Amino acid sequence: MKQKTHGIQLSVLGLALLAAFALTHASDLESRVHEYDLKNGLHVIVYVDSSAPVVSTSVWYKVGSYDEPLGKTGISHMLEHMTFKQTDFYKPGELDRIIDSAGGMNNGFTSTYYTAYYEDFARDRYELAMKIEASRMGTCVFDDSEFASEHQVVSEERRLHENRPTGELWELFSATAQLVNPERNPTIGWSDDVRNYTVEEVHDWYKKHYNPANAVLVICGDVRPEDAKAKAEKHFGRLKGRPVERRDCYDVEPKQNGERRITVRRRVRVPSMLIGYQVPGVRDSAWYAGEVAGGILGGGETSRLYKKLVKELGLATSVWGGSYVSRDPSLFQIGVTPKAESLMPQIERVVQAELDRAGSELASEREMQQVRNQVLAGQAFARDDMFRMAYWLASNHILYGTWRQVIEYPDHIDRVTAEQVRDYCAAYLVPDNRTTGILVSSKEAQ
Amino acid sequence: MRHFRFQIADCRLGRFWLLAIGVCLVTSAVGLPLYRDSLANGLVVLTYEDTRLPTVAVSLVCRSGSACDPEGKAGTAAMMADLLTRGTTTMSGDSIKSIVEFLGGRFSGDADDDNCGIDVRVLSKDLGTALDLLADAVLHPAFDATEMEIARSRMIAGARRIFDNPGAEVRYEFMKLLYGNHPYGRPAGGDTISLPLIRREDLVAFHKTHFRPNNCFVVVVGDIDRKGLVAEMEKRLASWSPDTVPAITIAPLAMPDRTRVKIITRSDMNQTYVEFGHPGIRGTDPDMLATRLMSFILGGGAKSSRLGVSVREEGGLAYDVRCWFDRNRLQGGFHATVQTADPKKAIGLMLRDIKLMYDSGATRKEVELAHNYYTGSFPLTYADTYGKLTQVRTMELYGYGMDWLNTFPAKVEAITLDQINKAARDHLNPGHYWMVVLGPVTMEDLGLTDVEWIE
Repeated sequence: MKQKTHGIQLSVLGLALLAAFALTHASDLESRVHEYDLKNGLHVIVYVDSSAPVVSTSVWYKVGSYDEPLGKTGISHMLEHMTFKQTDFYKPGELDRIIDSAGGMNNGFTSTYYTAYYEDFARDRYELAMKIEASRMGTCVFDDSEFASEHQVVSEERRLHENRPTGELWELFSATAQLVNPERNPTIGWSDDVRNYTVEEVHDWYKKHYNPANAVLVICGDVRPEDAKAKAEKHFGRLKGRPVERRDCYDVEPKQNGERRITVRRRVRVPSMLIGYQVPGVRDSAWYAGEVAGGILGGGETSRLYKKLVKELGLATSVWGGSYVSRDPSLFQIGVTPKAESLMPQIERVVQAELDRAGSELASEREMQQVRNQVLAGQAFARDDMFRMAYWLASNHILYGTWRQVIEYPDHIDRVTAEQVRDYCAAYLVPDNRTTGILVSSKEAQ
Repeated sequence: MRHFRFQIADCRLGRFWLLAIGVCLVTSAVGLPLYRDSLANGLVVLTYEDTRLPTVAVSLVCRSGSACDPEGKAGTAAMMADLLTRGTTTMSGDSIKSIVEFLGGRFSGDADDDNCGIDVRVLSKDLGTALDLLADAVLHPAFDATEMEIARSRMIAGARRIFDNPGAEVRYEFMKLLYGNHPYGRPAGGDTISLPLIRREDLVAFHKTHFRPNNCFVVVVGDIDRKGLVAEMEKRLASWSPDTVPAITIAPLAMPDRTRVKIITRSDMNQTYVEFGHPGIRGTDPDMLATRLMSFILGGGAKSSRLGVSVREEGGLAYDVRCWFDRNRLQGGFHATVQTADPKKAIGLMLRDIKLMYDSGATRKEVELAHNYYTGSFPLTYADTYGKLTQVRTMELYGYGMDWLNTFPAKVEAITLDQINKAARDHLNPGHYWMVVLGPVTMEDLGLTDVEWIE
């Protein structure tokens, strides 16, 4: 078979178009985003996009599993469930009926750094979302019997995690790779903690963290900025704000001075591997070199690890890699699906050899440019969906301190040099800084 | 070449008839035009212009899926579609991936029960490259031996992984019971027995037989110039010739004469996964919309539906409980699922609620809520690119007609309480279920009476 080489090269025209897009993209975003604080401290971000008659309204509280004390892991998630039960606006069981009846879609979710709620509506009824979220922020009711029932629901959700072996590997791997930083804890909480919450504890967590000064309101879609502001004032303005000081665990993790390993044996037919390295988080300048390294090593089927493990050596059926977005020093992770358990030692050696190579040789200009291209294309795709846009703006505001990170991120990636990528790999992606977790079949499954 | 022009706008939301007068020719901030063209070889091209972002998504849909896999070779359609994006007679799979990933795009192939196809997503400046790749994949697939073995390994891992996930395993077992020897009873991705048996000739034959322009259509959404796009596709795909594509005819599934339950005991679990149901209706059945509204009221949402309220909100028995009717070409199924530490109580409530819907139907208030939900949320379903692709694809697959996005809300509003209750009587069948229960349970734990236990 005659093979044709790439029809696409680093053409001057292609790069020029990409650069033009980056500029347009940034200025277009600037013109569409309106940002301000209400007097009570509620931070508001409005993104105007009138291309479809829909609006996504969301509120993001700066509380998540990162903020939870030992013994109470998962309490932010338990609270998230309770806020759907009852407020001064909706009685038990009413919230979903109200939203369904208005043709809306809604949900809530808890992560390491935030707890968020959203409602997507046709544009003529997005004020309903404001009303719901203001009542959630200020007037949740914590009834004993409602709590008892929802506590069981959350316990069932916890069991869903426990019955997925890959989920168990993930939990134990994180807790092994990070010994102190609260990022080690699962967002849903450890089983024993989940069993033992009381309604008073959950209510106290609500009173501590849910108020305008600890939240971000994001409105994305077909709205007029002044109208959104008036509605925000009307519904949230009456609530009292109390700034909440957030714990900072930047320095808590001890330096790793040797490899850690964990083995999980479960009834599985497909083994899994997780390999992690302690690396800087988003507050460190080296973070961006890690992003580029992740793209080169584990981003897609042209990445070095995929080409080596899947295509060249046939040791694995899939592989991915990259750094985990974190305010604190966190993990660069690589996931591998080996073809067989017996291949795991060889895979570990091959992975480390590739990382060593990355730490001693410069990446090619094509590899560097591919990551830049992917960042820009990813930004265009991300703006397609209004909730995804809200997620993007809010998570950047909370993690980086400004939504403008969305605009600045491509520039940061652009400025990363091949030397910085090499030095990052040499400094962090080394055996003494590694944690390896493997999921293998138990005797029962064999 | 035929051209149809269609205006998308939701009459209930105002300010769209501005579009009706010639605005189709100009991108509007209010609504967007959808067109349907046919190439000379019969290939239908549906374009939905959306210039707000410099992106474009192309989906080539072939109306033959895993249901057309050769006997004993489940996974053929899926492997064929995957390999279309992994090498042609003029370009290696590595070269293709290298181009696509360098551009920050995506290019993939897959199959479900009824269809297979290719999806491409790129920045609109790269549309020409995307069309080149798409046409080359369709016209000159290599089905390269090395790429085929890599795909086979990946698919076998996927098939094995079903048994590492109790939710996937219970679905796999339920589908086997529900469909038996019907093609839908075998997984679209194949299994560990069928996948090793697939040969290159099977892929070539599937492609030659089913990948014909008269059996395919293309949906393009994004920052495009329709006329230019259609002309470019005509240029690239002119040599793709139509041919007769065999139709599948399968006898309807028989309703089980009583409830039959399969238990898979897993003492290492602390929660039981349950899926039960029975044969349903075809995706094109005139009752489908009334049936969807009925099942939405019964179990469409994990919290606000009847099942959601009784099992989750009041019972605290599960994180997720729901039921639905499939929308498949040949015959769908009715499914009800729950994951719970108390299967006896949860199953009991679910059987009770389904029987109650069958016996007494829905209330006017429930129907009103369902109307409001379906009509009100409809614009949300096609606000983004993926939603537009999905809705236009569904419209074309089921022959809903070019006015479907406009008329769907009115069609929903027209469904009456009587029609919904008739759908419950005609399409629910209490006491005639296939049921799979997977978890730390035995027959005695479930307290089910008047059922047959099966292996």
